[in-house]
Formats: sequence, C-alpha cells, structure tokens
Amino acid sequence: MTDKAKDFFAAFKAGKMNRRELMSGAGKLGVTAASANFMLNAAATEALAADFDWMKHKGTKLHLLLNKHPYADAMIADLDNFKKMTGMEVTYDIFPEDVYFDKVAAALSSKSTQYDAFMTGAYQTWEYGPAGWIDDLNAFIKDPAKTNPNYNWDDVLPGLRASTAWNGVPGGALGSADAKQWCIPWGFELNSITYNRKMYDKVGVQPAKNMPDLLEVSAKLTKDAGGPYGIGVRGSRSWATIHPGFLSGYSNYGQRDFTVEGGKLKAAMNTKVSKDYHKMFVKMVQDSGPKNWSTYTWYQVGTDLGAGASATIFDADILGYFMDGGDNKEKGNLGFHAFAANPDAKAPTPNVWIWSLAMNSAGKQKDPTWYFMQWASSTEHDMFGARKMDFVNPVRASVWKDGDFRDRIAKSYAGYLEQFDASSPGAKIYFTAQPLFQEVTTQWAETLQKMVAKQVAVDEGLDQLAASLDKKLKDAGLG
Amino acid sequence: MEHSSRAERVLRGVLITAILVFFLFPILWIFLMSFQTNEEVLRIPPSLFFKPTLINYASLITGKLQTAAGSLDLAFMLNLWNSVLLSTLSVALSLLLGVPAAYAFARFKFRGSEDIAFTLLSFRFAPPLLVLLPLSLYFQDIGLNDTYVGLIWVYQLIALPLILWIVRGYFEDISPDIEYAYRIAGHSWLQTFLRIAVPLARPGIAAAGLLAFIFCWNNFVFALILASADKQPVTVGALAFVTASGIQYGQIAAAIVLSITPTLALALYAQRYLVEGLSLGAVKG
Amino acid sequence: MTSIAAPVRRRKILLLPYLLSLPALLVCIGILIPFVTAVYYSMLRYRLNLPYLKGFIWFGNYKEFLTDSEFWNTVRVSLEYTALTVGSELLLGLVIALLLQKQSRFNNMASILLLLPLMTAPALASLMWKLMTNPNFGVLSYLVQLMGVHNFQWASSPNSALFTVVLVDVWVYTPFIMILLLAGLRSLPTQPFEAAALDGVPRRFVFFRITLPMLTPYIITAALFRLLDAIQQFDIIYPMTQGGPGDTLLVFQVRAYLEFYQYTNVGKSAALLMILWAITYALSNVFIKQWLKLRERARGLA
Repeated sequence: MTDKAKDFFAAFKAGKMNRRELMSGAGKLGVTAASANFMLNAAATEALAADFDWMKHKGTKLHLLLNKHPYADAMIADLDNFKKMTGMEVTYDIFPEDVYFDKVAAALSSKSTQYDAFMTGAYQTWEYGPAGWIDDLNAFIKDPAKTNPNYNWDDVLPGLRASTAWNGVPGGALGSADAKQWCIPWGFELNSITYNRKMYDKVGVQPAKNMPDLLEVSAKLTKDAGGPYGIGVRGSRSWATIHPGFLSGYSNYGQRDFTVEGGKLKAAMNTKVSKDYHKMFVKMVQDSGPKNWSTYTWYQVGTDLGAGASATIFDADILGYFMDGGDNKEKGNLGFHAFAANPDAKAPTPNVWIWSLAMNSAGKQKDPTWYFMQWASSTEHDMFGARKMDFVNPVRASVWKDGDFRDRIAKSYAGYLEQFDASSPGAKIYFTAQPLFQEVTTQWAETLQKMVAKQVAVDEGLDQLAASLDKKLKDAGLG
Repeated sequence: MEHSSRAERVLRGVLITAILVFFLFPILWIFLMSFQTNEEVLRIPPSLFFKPTLINYASLITGKLQTAAGSLDLAFMLNLWNSVLLSTLSVALSLLLGVPAAYAFARFKFRGSEDIAFTLLSFRFAPPLLVLLPLSLYFQDIGLNDTYVGLIWVYQLIALPLILWIVRGYFEDISPDIEYAYRIAGHSWLQTFLRIAVPLARPGIAAAGLLAFIFCWNNFVFALILASADKQPVTVGALAFVTASGIQYGQIAAAIVLSITPTLALALYAQRYLVEGLSLGAVKG
Repeated sequence: MTSIAAPVRRRKILLLPYLLSLPALLVCIGILIPFVTAVYYSMLRYRLNLPYLKGFIWFGNYKEFLTDSEFWNTVRVSLEYTALTVGSELLLGLVIALLLQKQSRFNNMASILLLLPLMTAPALASLMWKLMTNPNFGVLSYLVQLMGVHNFQWASSPNSALFTVVLVDVWVYTPFIMILLLAGLRSLPTQPFEAAALDGVPRRFVFFRITLPMLTPYIITAALFRLLDAIQQFDIIYPMTQGGPGDTLLVFQVRAYLEFYQYTNVGKSAALLMILWAITYALSNVFIKQWLKLRERARGLA
C-alpha cells in the first residue's frame, strides 16, 4: 500500500471522512472496492496495533480447529491482517458440525498438542472445563502485559460474558464472582420465529403470538399452503434438538431443566406445566412438523425453509438470516418475529447458542494463542465480519451501534433488527450448567422422539426421563 | 440349466433386471445429481429433467466452491490423493506382511499354526472403537498421531485379515507339486516362493488386494478420529460440503462419483482375477 | 498335509513358517496393546468430565449392565441388525450369484457393475440415502408416494427405521457376498453336476445336496466377514439417525461412540466395547470351527 493510500485510510479511521467519501476517494487512488474493504480493515488493524507489542511472538505458528461456519469464513477472510500485524503464521483444520464436537473431544481427550485454540459452544465447556482440557482465560484477559489496551472486554455483551463463565460447581450460576472464563464469545444466535411472508399472506395468517397460537397457525399452514408443512424444528437424537426453539419456549413457561438444592441437582422436567408444554410441542410436531422430524438437524430445518418446503421455523434467528440470502429459492421472502411462547409472559426468553473460542490446555504456546484469540474477538474484527461478512450476530455492543452494520441488515433483512431488539433483553443460557450436559440433553431428545412417535405417553415419558436422569446424577455424585 | 423353459428364462430376465435396478438406480441418481445445481437437487417433487452443469466438478477440481456466501476453499483433490495414498500403501503393506504368512499357514503344518492364524484373524474381532479409544492416547505419546504411518498401521486392522484369509485359501488350492519340483532342481526356498508360488497365486492376491483396497478406501471412523484436515481421505473430506448455510448435495454427488472412479478403474483392470481369484481352498483339497 | 520343505534341512523348516508369519503377528500385537489398556479402562469408574470420581471398580461397569434395560436393548438391536443384514445379504447374494453363474460378457459386466455400491463408502452412501428418502426432495419418497404409499417415514419412524438402515446395508454389502459366492460357484468341479444330469436327478435335489454343500466354505467366509462388520455397525446408522428415533437403532458401536466422544464416559464405553468384542469372538468362533471342520473333511477326502 502506498503511503498516500495509507494516510487516506487513516483519515477514515480517525473519523475525518465518511464511508462514501472513503470509497470514492479510494476509487480515485486506484483501489478497487474489494481491496478497499480489505485495506479498511488493515487500517483498523493498524489502529489496534497502537501501544501494544503485537510482534512479540513473530514467527510462531498456530494451528486452529474450526467448525464449518460463516464465523470461521469471516475470520479466514480477515486473517492476513492478523498475520501481517503479528508476523505469526496461522493454519487451521475445518470440520462440519455433524462431527465437529466429536473431533474436538477426540483431540482434547488424547491431550493432543496439535491445536492451540478451537471453536466451541458454552455448553461444551461444562465438560471440557472440569476435564481440565481448557484454560481459564481470565488469566489472560486481566493481564495488561498480554492483552492490548484497546481490547475493551467490557464491550462484549454482558449476558454473553456471563454465559461463558462458570465456577465449575454443578448447578453453579453462570457468570458468578468466582467463575472461570472458559471461552470468549465470538458470535451468537438466539431463537425466534422466521416465517415465509409469501406463504403467510397466501394462507392469510399472522406470525403466532404464543405457543397455542403457533399450533393453530402451523396446522392451518400445513392444511392450506398447498404442500409445505407448517413448522420446522430440530428433532435429531442430540442435544441440538433441545437447545433452540424447544428450550426457549420451555423457559418462557418458567420451567427449568434441574432444580438445585444444597449443591445437589434434581431433574425438573416432570412438573405439571412442563408436561403441558411438552404435549403442545409434541402435538405441534405431529400435526405440522416435518415428516422426517426425528432426523432433522440445523441443516434440514434451514434447507427446508430456504427451499420453500416449510412455512415457519422456530430456531436460531441467524438460520433464518442465512436462508433469506444466498442462492436460496425463498431468498427475500422471509420475515422475522420475536416469540414468547407463554401467553402470560411479558417478553420472549430465548435460549442462546454462543460460538466461542477456547484455548487447549495441552497447547504449548499459550501466549501467542491468546494474541490470536484477542484479535479474533476484537472490536475491529467483529466490525469487519458484521459489515462485510455473515458474522451475525456480533457479540460486541459497539458493533450493534454501528450504522453501517445496522443499515446493511435493515436493508436486506427486513424485520431482523426489530426481532433482535425484542428478543435480546431476555436472551441468555437457560440450561443449568453441569458436566452431564450432553448426556442429559441427548436422553431428553430421545424421550421427545418417543413421544412424537407415540411410543410413550408424554406424562409417563417425562416421569421416566426424570427418574432416569436422577439416577445418572446420583451415580455421578451430582444428585 | 440346459433345459430351461421359456417361463424360467422370463423369470430370470425379470429377476436380473430388478436386481440391476435396485443396485444401480441409486448410483445413476447420484450420477445425475452430480450435474445439477443445489437448487435443482432440492426441487419438489424431484425431477429427471434439468440443465446439466459441470460446476460441481469444476469446483471440486479447482478447489473453489462458489456459494452465495462467498468462495470457499476445498481440499477435495487433496482428500482424494490421501485416499489413494492411504489405501494403496495400506494394501501394499498388508500384502507384504500377509502373503508370506498366508503361504506359511497353507504350506507348513507347524506348532501353533492354527492358533497364530486365528489370532491374526481375530484382529478383525476387536471393534474399531475399542482400539481407537486408547490408541489415540498412545499415538500422541509416540508421535504417530495424525501421520500417514499411524493411519496405515491402523488400516492393517481392515486389510490384513481379509488378505490372509483369501490368499491362504488360494495357496491351499494350488498343488505344491510344481514348487516341489522346482526345489528339487536346486533352487532355494526364497526363489521358489517368489518365482513359483507367488506368480501362481496371482489371481488370489489380486482379488484379495482389490477387496482390501475397497474396504480401506471406504473407512470412515479411523480417519475421522486420527487424521487432521491435511491427511484425511474423501470419506471424511466429503463432509465439508455440509455447511452451516446448507448441504451442497450437488458437490457431494460429484464427490461420490469421483471417489468411486479410482476403485472402479482398478476393479475393471483386475476384473479377470476377481472371480477366479476368490477360490478359498477346502473344496478341491 | 504335504510340505515342500520336507526334504531340505530340518532346522530351517522349523523356523521358516514362524519367520514368515512373525511380521504380521508383530503388527497385530502392536494393536493389541491398546486392547489391553481398554480392558483396564473397562474396570474403572472413569469419566473425563468428572475426573475426581476415577477409581478401580473391578466389574462394576459390567454389573451395572445386567440390570440396565438400555443395555439389553442395545444387545437385542445389534443382534437383530446382524441377523437381518447377514441373512438377507446371503440370500440375495446367493440368488444373484446363481443368476450370473454362467460365464458370458453380460454376466461378467453385470457382476462388475453390481460392485459399484460396495465402492461407495457407507458414510457417503448413507448421506445420499438420507437425501433420497427425504419427504420433500427425495426421489424414493416420491416414487413410494406414486405407488400410493403415503406417510412412509423411512429412517424417521421407529417402525421403519430398522428396515431403512438394513436396506442401505444390503445395498452396500450384498455385492461383497455376491462376488465371493460367484467365485465359489464358478470354481465348483463340473463332474458331479454332469453325473447328476445324466442320472436325471431333480434340480432342487442337485442344488440342496450338491451345490449348497460344496459352496459352504464360501458361504461361511462371506458370512463371517459380513458378521464381523454388521455387529460392529457404525458408518450407516450414525450418519442416518444417530441411533434414533428413540432408542430404536442404538447398536453397540453407536452407543459406545456416544458414551465416549460425547458423554466422555471412558469406563462405560470401554466395558460396552469389551462385551461387543466377546460377542464377536464367540460368534466368529462358531463359524471358524465350522470352516476348519469342513476343511479337515475335504482334506480327508482328497
């Protein structure tokens, strides 16, 4: 980059020029739009570089384990700036989500030193943390010698910071004072309704106001939309079935997975209210869900919505976002809607999924790894991803205030921001933090499958589930 | 079979057709799908008519997948190369270890021979996961984790028992008289083995090698757990088309077609040995 | 048994077969070290996510299984799956082999083409079958609907899930059995059949009294190798249903995989796999004994 061009971008960073001026000015300097984007972030990276010795670990090679995800794509698109700024080399392995967590478990459990940092969800750290596979990142965040002064950790949405911190005590509150920061929030999704506006107009229905309404609307859509089914939700035999729409609605009825008393956990899914909620959910799937529900993962839920095979999804907001763009058939036809399942609830209570970055305990180069992690979770990178790539939802408050980002979303994804603003105040992790997370949620999903297939009645199934989980907890010394 | 009636001939024809349809229709469908865009794959209802495109193959071969979300890098050709490398070397090693052992079991009656043969076969009894679980720990310690050597070693679990079993049967079917005569003529044991026994057993070795190659090629779980992105074969690599913003069915189909091609070529080449070579002893004595 | 080395130096004879089989054995023992470790793990209370619980409990994990209905379900499903797949593949493979028995261009080409499913990796094949049976875009769902069967849910309903995965298994692995049996049929001596034809022996009798017995070693080999794979099934069921719906398809390896890689319960996972190993061992033993007996008899006759 010429010095002239450099000054030019620096002027933009300093706020002396707006974006349009920058782009046209860059054009005059012979910089194409694509490289202008890259340079813009190069300028941001330079700003980040002030007052901190980013070159300290020059020459170090890092290796990452990544999930096949737009967040990873955004990071890779920006990675050259990091390499240039630090003189470090970064390589990565990417695995699709179907096998990603198995791969993580395989690598961590064998104490492999291969990967320095990896993507994870907050739930998984409830296993990885107690197993001693990941490091408490407070040691880095709070050390001014290791973290650049502009990092601004407090800019990360407080709910997300708390949701990724846990004291390791089964049932311990997330984000408590003694909590360890097991991972750094990177991008997140909350659960709401995405619907096909065209189909809704055709059938003449409005997005559902609550759970009973959702059952009716979905049934009507299944009957009258002429082919597509009413509502897509996940149903595979996995934790992934429980955490999106299902748990969000469940929490809205004030229900919990466990009660914690005197440090002991007790399964709580067999209350009267919970049984009623399960009955509604099961009926909804039976009447208006996908026929192949029990094999439905994130992919099928999304694909069906994007291809016009379903009219609604009660799942991650960003899944709706992806399906509203790209080369999907229903691109541009989707609407977004915050959803409170309980008619008596004041506001939605979406459960959240947070893609985060964690550090491998067995890794041999932790300081350089932290350099990468703080860059990847910096305001600058978050901003780049949110403006230019599909790095939604960003985790930093400052990015949500950014005009460019908001304009882009408002223009191309009608109703998305409104949905987000209505959903986010109540959004957090509604699971009880405990190390048996995967086992519990898998069994929960199995029970749901049996209920939908009418192999077991809802009341009976939940009683059995609670009894079985209580035994498992007891065996593990948690109940 | 000489005096087959008309009704029987019709019945045979119908049966063969039904069988060919059942086994080949999915392959044909995958083949057609590999020339469709994802949008066309996901039509409701599915349709036979489409405008063929080479985009899936192009993106696999150039390593660039164009999606609406941007361009993604694919390492499919590297995966294919890994599959070729892993399967070929594994089978080669298996043959190197297995053929002499099979010969020993077929030709010599020695103390413990049946026990050793059984032990070698029982290799195959251990569930892959049972071995994998501690193996990943040991591999970490001895530096074999994520190496071709480590993978090829584990692949012996798949290839070696099959080769031993089939080649041994074939050796037993060959009369030892020729070898005997050759030895009498003053040749060493090694010469006899290499010049007479192995060439005679070639069909058996080829058939066993081909089957072992197919099973190595198709392996999923070993490669998934033990290999990182730059060592993994197509079975694991093809999962990269399952992306957060959708499953790229067109590319998966093209990947399957490409992944079948090398094995098919090998099978066509070894065709004449395949059936002839799978004679398992015990019949003719 | 004849030994070609007999007339030569005795010492070498004694050593040679050992030397020949030693390398293979060594590689095998290398793999057996982890096996011993796994035996040890199976006697531990050992969860990676609850490290403080770790302790030696002898056969505690195994005893737990005795009263665990989930475990018995796994045993039942695994055996059912094995019996169904191996049984139908043997039957179908035999029929195909008989149909293609005669050497002809068409038959040879058909037998190679029929190997194509075997060349499709099961992990990828199940991905394709999943799409083909998708209720919206799937061609098979569509065809089944055209035939007037509505609401057939393939792998998603507990009623048809086992059928669906068995179907995929049959599709992938029947060719393996077919090619072995075809090889067997074509290598049968012609003499007995000619004699039978001369005597006008009914074909049914020829098939059951001559063909089938002479084919037995091939059938046993084919069944043995399929059995080993089928009882250890993972590649098809896991991608298709992850063991669901409900607990319909929770076979040994799927369960052990979940226990280890998802629940990080090392002890339980290892114990499950040990039991799987024991079952495999016992079943294979039956086949191998039978095979050895047949061979002995054949040698005796020769």
